[in-house]
Amino acid sequence: MLRERIPTFLLNRPRSDPPQFEKGRWSTPFLERGIDRLAAMIKTGYSQWHFSTMKGFFQGIDARVKILFLIFFVILVSLKKEIGSEILIGLTIFFLMLLSRLEVLQLYKRIFSFALIFGSLVALPSALNLFREGEVLFTLLSLSTPYEFWIYSIPERIGVTREGLYGVGMMTLRIINSLSITFLVLYTTPFPQIIKALKVFKLPDAALIVITLSYKYLFLFAGTVEDMHLAKKSRLIREIPRREGRGWIAGRIVLIFRKTRSRAEEVFKAMLCRGFSDSIRISETSKMRQRDWVTGAALFLAGCLLLWI
Amino acid sequence: MIRLENISYHYHDNIPALTGIDLEIKEGERFAIIGANGTGKTTLLQIINGLIFPSNGKFFFQGKEVMRQTMKDKGFVRFFRERVGYVFQDSDVQLFCPTVLDELLYGPLQLEIGGKEAMDRAFETMKMLNIEHLKERPTYMLSGGEKKKVAIGSVLTMNPEVLLFDEPTNGLDPKTECFLVELMIALNEAGKTLVISTHDLSLVDELQATVGVLSEQHRLEKTGSAADILSDENLLLRVNLIHEHIHRHGDRTHKHIHSHYLFHRHDS
Repeated sequence: MLRERIPTFLLNRPRSDPPQFEKGRWSTPFLERGIDRLAAMIKTGYSQWHFSTMKGFFQGIDARVKILFLIFFVILVSLKKEIGSEILIGLTIFFLMLLSRLEVLQLYKRIFSFALIFGSLVALPSALNLFREGEVLFTLLSLSTPYEFWIYSIPERIGVTREGLYGVGMMTLRIINSLSITFLVLYTTPFPQIIKALKVFKLPDAALIVITLSYKYLFLFAGTVEDMHLAKKSRLIREIPRREGRGWIAGRIVLIFRKTRSRAEEVFKAMLCRGFSDSIRISETSKMRQRDWVTGAALFLAGCLLLWI
Repeated sequence: MIRLENISYHYHDNIPALTGIDLEIKEGERFAIIGANGTGKTTLLQIINGLIFPSNGKFFFQGKEVMRQTMKDKGFVRFFRERVGYVFQDSDVQLFCPTVLDELLYGPLQLEIGGKEAMDRAFETMKMLNIEHLKERPTYMLSGGEKKKVAIGSVLTMNPEVLLFDEPTNGLDPKTECFLVELMIALNEAGKTLVISTHDLSLVDELQATVGVLSEQHRLEKTGSAADILSDENLLLRVNLIHEHIHRHGDRTHKHIHSHYLFHRHDS
């Protein structure tokens, strides 16, 4: 009988005393922060799906029109050379986002943080007259004499120029606008529709299937990693040393690699048993409705107008 | 011992997983949380294990509130984790040490239990679970049933007072399933509080547990004894744990309530 084989230690009460709350706090380890990022990725994917299936102006348009709009407007943003035009394009996109019932505050928070890093901070040195001559607005450093060094010339007054600032502003606005357009299309189009719309550009079906499977796998992967982390957390009593944490991650990477390989084999077998030979065919997208043609033409005209202004 | 007050949980801020759950589990009790797929059984167990925290409501363990802040306190984490053990549905995610023996030693070493005592705990547990011959084996070289036994063993060596089992019999062969049921009863008789999540009604019947039924609206529909819940066909139909089934016997067509548990009977 199993009852008679229960080890004696299992009949004892736990050793630790009731909790003393002043013993110190656990800091959030890098491992947990990493897992949180992965969980956030699932959340992002979910929000994309949630907004893209809502009723809104852009959600109702055919995905092919939206993909063409995306390409046309991103080119438009790069062609414009005046800050005023960029602001006008930005306002148009903002208005389209509102019509599509997206959470503009959340989206612009992300857009501005990207633009700050990849636009302003990266381009900021180019505002100095070290790289580009121009009218100095304010001086940062005055030297006794100008220097010539190899291909560089260092002026007597080092400072921020009007032309340089304009360039940084343009760069930042272009990034903001390009990201807004991309987010507008991504957040109003379900992922499978985006994939099918890519067929317009004659992308092979096999490539589209690979993209779809990879996208799906990212979510499975993120879910598995989160589960593994919770399983570990449920058995953790003290903070683990960093070395031990790294060891755990290495072990889990091996396990995930094994699981991924066996999952790939299973998916391939499932494809085989459903008639896969060597070519992949994705079902055709539905025909464009009159409404899609009209909206597409209106967006094209709006783009042309912005190009002309 | 465990008290949940008006617990709600939302995934990604807007997918409801649990809504207004009030629950009390007493020391030494066998408690089964049953419900169809997606009703929030696993979420509830993870809240009881302090792995995730409710969007609303309060969870108390032995009178002390378990929340995000308290679970950052070293003293409280030790107190709580030592007393509440969790056996995951997918054993793969739970096993992370190089060998079976390492897996069983992990808990006692965390508790700073000395080498010999830790070793004794590991071997006694392996003996009880009949997995002594697997001690040097890497966990990825085990069968599904063996992995489940090692996962249970890895929690038992910490000697928790409460054992949470998430869908314990899922995917197990009948012999291992039978062993597991016997083990759960023996552990409960040894004083452990058992909380299991399942949709396997025969398991609930075998354990004769107190049952909490979760509905597809993520609410606690009813709490009662196993006999009380299993005889309430309307309730089980409403929460999709049994269903109406039409089939033929020769030239006669029968319609009856069907589950893989007790209700395979004909009215005419």
